Amino acid sequence: MSIDRKRIIDALSKIEVAGNDNGLIEGFGVLVNQMPTTFWNNFAEKLVSKVDPGLIDATEYLLINAGHECGYHTGYGIITSDEWNAVVKPMIEKAPEDILYGAFAVFTAWGWADCEIVELVPNQRMVVRAYDYYESDPVKFGRLERPCAYMLRGISAAFMDLAYGGPYDKTGKKGLKTFTCKQTKGIECGDAYGEFIVVRAQAGYGQY
Amino acid sequence: MFKFEKTNLFLNKKVDPKHYRHFVNKVPMVLHCHHYSTLYTQLALDAKEEEVLLKSMEEAIYPILENYYKDNNIERIDDKVEVACQYFSFMGLGKMSVISISENSAEVHLLRSHLDEGWIKKFGKYDRPINYIASGFIAAMFEVINDKRTNTAIVQEVQSIAKGAERAVFRVSTK
Repeated sequence: MSIDRKRIIDALSKIEVAGNDNGLIEGFGVLVNQMPTTFWNNFAEKLVSKVDPGLIDATEYLLINAGHECGYHTGYGIITSDEWNAVVKPMIEKAPEDILYGAFAVFTAWGWADCEIVELVPNQRMVVRAYDYYESDPVKFGRLERPCAYMLRGISAAFMDLAYGGPYDKTGKKGLKTFTCKQTKGIECGDAYGEFIVVRAQAGYGQY
Repeated sequence: MFKFEKTNLFLNKKVDPKHYRHFVNKVPMVLHCHHYSTLYTQLALDAKEEEVLLKSMEEAIYPILENYYKDNNIERIDDKVEVACQYFSFMGLGKMSVISISENSAEVHLLRSHLDEGWIKKFGKYDRPINYIASGFIAAMFEVINDKRTNTAIVQEVQSIAKGAERAVFRVSTK
């Protein structure tokens, strides 16, 4: 593999981001925000713990979906950006696999999760391990029975969509959700790391 | 005559070298996009849990402003308002203008808005206000400036960019 993960993280974690004169951060084809991780965690945790038990699956699906759509559109913006072209693109020898490895390095650089691909079967399956991620922060004592890294699940599936789901479609009608992701381990569940298995959407994990 | 000099927001940004988490003034922050923020908002609307979204933001912002004012000896209300507006813009949430603040009420306008403009980009215009994230920010700002506890402000978005208005208008009252 030609991707130098550490070099990418070192370079892209230093990017300065701040609102312009209008208080907006326009980049990567989207409007970017930077908010406290506690906000995102609070909302997800409060909502899931508040809904009727029969609606937990549906609520979690929508939280994962937010990460999935975010990952698809922003991920495309990242892998077509000037920053990507300057730092990552020169390392790419084999596409789309090297793009995926590079994208997960960017994923880490941006503070979403310290994670990497540990297994990749092109066009079929990917296993991602996350050694640190903000979505596990809410658990201060004990462990959860259900993992809660919704954003990581969605984004992992989205990156496979971008790699193997056909040309990018800005409407999200094609290409998006050709893959699905299941979280099989979680720091929030007492595991040493989070593990995320991404497979083709029809391959048995249901929608998620 | 007193000359007011605009205070500038001080931002101490650090990246944790072990796990690459991003901290701004010691607070862990993360980048996301309008797809993410609008889908969270849509989920809150569909679940009729807008208050959870608002309170989540209020509770996240309250300690940030409270600690900032304390750590930087910000005591004048003009400076506190200015810092809050600059923080709002730094986060990419838009351009906020505080029209008035008293102990029991406030009026705040958004001249630009991440959430509303992102919503329109993604879904088009909507038939009701949607900016519960800004509402939470405004609630926290109002409470901290007035030395009130969290969860004591009531914020209503009475004019909405997502509905087609040129600017958003928020009115604050107390419980």
